[in-house]
Amino acid sequence: MTQSQQGFFLIKNKLGLHARAATVLAQLSTQFDADITLYQGEKSAPGDSVLALLLLESSQGKQVKVTCTGPDAHDALIAIGNLIENKFHEDE
Amino acid sequence: MKLSTLISEDCSKAAVLFNSKKRILQYISELAQQKIPNANQHDILEALLNREKLGSTGIGKGIAIPHGRLSGLSDVVAILLVNQQAIPFDAYDDRNVDIFVALIVPDGENKQHLETLASIAGKLNDKHFCKRLRQASNDNELYQVLVEYDK
Repeated sequence: MTQSQQGFFLIKNKLGLHARAATVLAQLSTQFDADITLYQGEKSAPGDSVLALLLLESSQGKQVKVTCTGPDAHDALIAIGNLIENKFHEDE
Repeated sequence: MKLSTLISEDCSKAAVLFNSKKRILQYISELAQQKIPNANQHDILEALLNREKLGSTGIGKGIAIPHGRLSGLSDVVAILLVNQQAIPFDAYDDRNVDIFVALIVPDGENKQHLETLASIAGKLNDKHFCKRLRQASNDNELYQVLVEYDK
């Protein structure tokens, strides 16, 4: 059954959605059977494209919307949300 | 931000041939040092290597953006290299890499860094642009592709 989920998360880490954070997010996205999209303002990016994620220019303090569609939508949303709110495993 | 402004003509190198991550980073540090006379090449190479240790800067689709931070730098130094053959770079999509956009960035300046990354990503996200970079047979031709796509 295809399901769709969405959530809003705050970019907390100091460097924002920079290259390393975007790469970790893209790696995580590919592990789920779900279409994952990030939105910030009028821009959107597929979760598995580092290039597109960098175009969001999401800096510290920005809120991003994440939508997940597919069999793994629920697990994907939780994992992506945790990654963002846990500062992409960064110290600050 | 215009790529042809960010990357100067003498930092655009077409059809180079390196066969490993280490070699290409060494060449990048050599080119960067010429732009930053106060820094030594070893420090630049260390910065690039340390960043790769945190995770590959291979961002998929045959592209990598090696970068490192250097204190006391006033402006970003950017270098474009197109290798004749794609080489292993531990990219997250497992593809080998032949387009390298290297950045030596000032410490801090996080927001500026995101803007720079976004400008570069915006261009590299265009398949036709990447194809033209790969087709360039000499440095001038490569730089002219940047100029053309900035219009």
